Amino acid sequence: MYFWVFNTKMGNNDLTNWVNEFTGGLYKWAYYKTSSAETAEDLVQETFLVAAEKFSSFKGDSSPKTWLFAILNHKIIDYYRKKVKMPVGIESGVISNYFDEHGSWQKEKRPNDWQDEENHLLDNNEFQKVLQKCLDALPEQWNMCVKLKYLTKKNSDDICQKLGIAPTNYWQIVHRAKLQLRNCVENKWFKN
Amino acid sequence: MKKLMHLLFLSCFKATELIERKFHFKLSAKESLQLKLHKMMCKACTKYEKQSILIEKGISNIENIDIEEHDVEMLKLKISTKLESQK
Repeated sequence: MYFWVFNTKMGNNDLTNWVNEFTGGLYKWAYYKTSSAETAEDLVQETFLVAAEKFSSFKGDSSPKTWLFAILNHKIIDYYRKKVKMPVGIESGVISNYFDEHGSWQKEKRPNDWQDEENHLLDNNEFQKVLQKCLDALPEQWNMCVKLKYLTKKNSDDICQKLGIAPTNYWQIVHRAKLQLRNCVENKWFKN
Repeated sequence: MKKLMHLLFLSCFKATELIERKFHFKLSAKESLQLKLHKMMCKACTKYEKQSILIEKGISNIENIDIEEHDVEMLKLKISTKLESQK
């Protein structure tokens, strides 16, 4: 009994430290993945509640940070799974915006030259903001597919399975999302 | 002529799809070869690939976006209170 009390006490102290240390990082990650401050806050809070509940099963095999992020990633996937109850729609109209009936680029959608400083672009905050805006402008489920690719180190098949999307469907979505993103970035950044 | 080319060396639609797939899957030998040949003949898809790689890197960078410190402090407080109340 004493041992149990002792353990719990330790647990709470550790947890309080973890809240201080990791809330920022977890929140940033959740915010980036869900594009919603409110959702991100909820997910981080739930993460710590789960952590408190399961604290005794944390054996220190991984760092607290890794452990907390694993819990958060589960929460994020859960959040998305609830959202994709309906099959992800792929409008055939999108493709005909970009390619003609032979599969060649439509003239006005054909990629143009971007300036040579392409690699510096990634250090440019303004450019990152444009990219973020273009991501946000995608249909929600496309946005989700693009972002989930980076959620875990696990492969895409695994993500498809978790979300209940067929892999072919997933690649079609990513392809369409990328076409739209590229076009959006070109219009917003290079033509302005 | 165009049709024959597409049959042998892919259409731009198919080529860009392979470019996207290539980020995460190994293409078959036939697919890689077709894509390579297609890119030799198609400037637009060559540009597309370069830009797509850039966008890909950009997306993985976005996670470094700025978050208001104030919001994080508020959240810490909120979570600590919640945990406290569950003891």
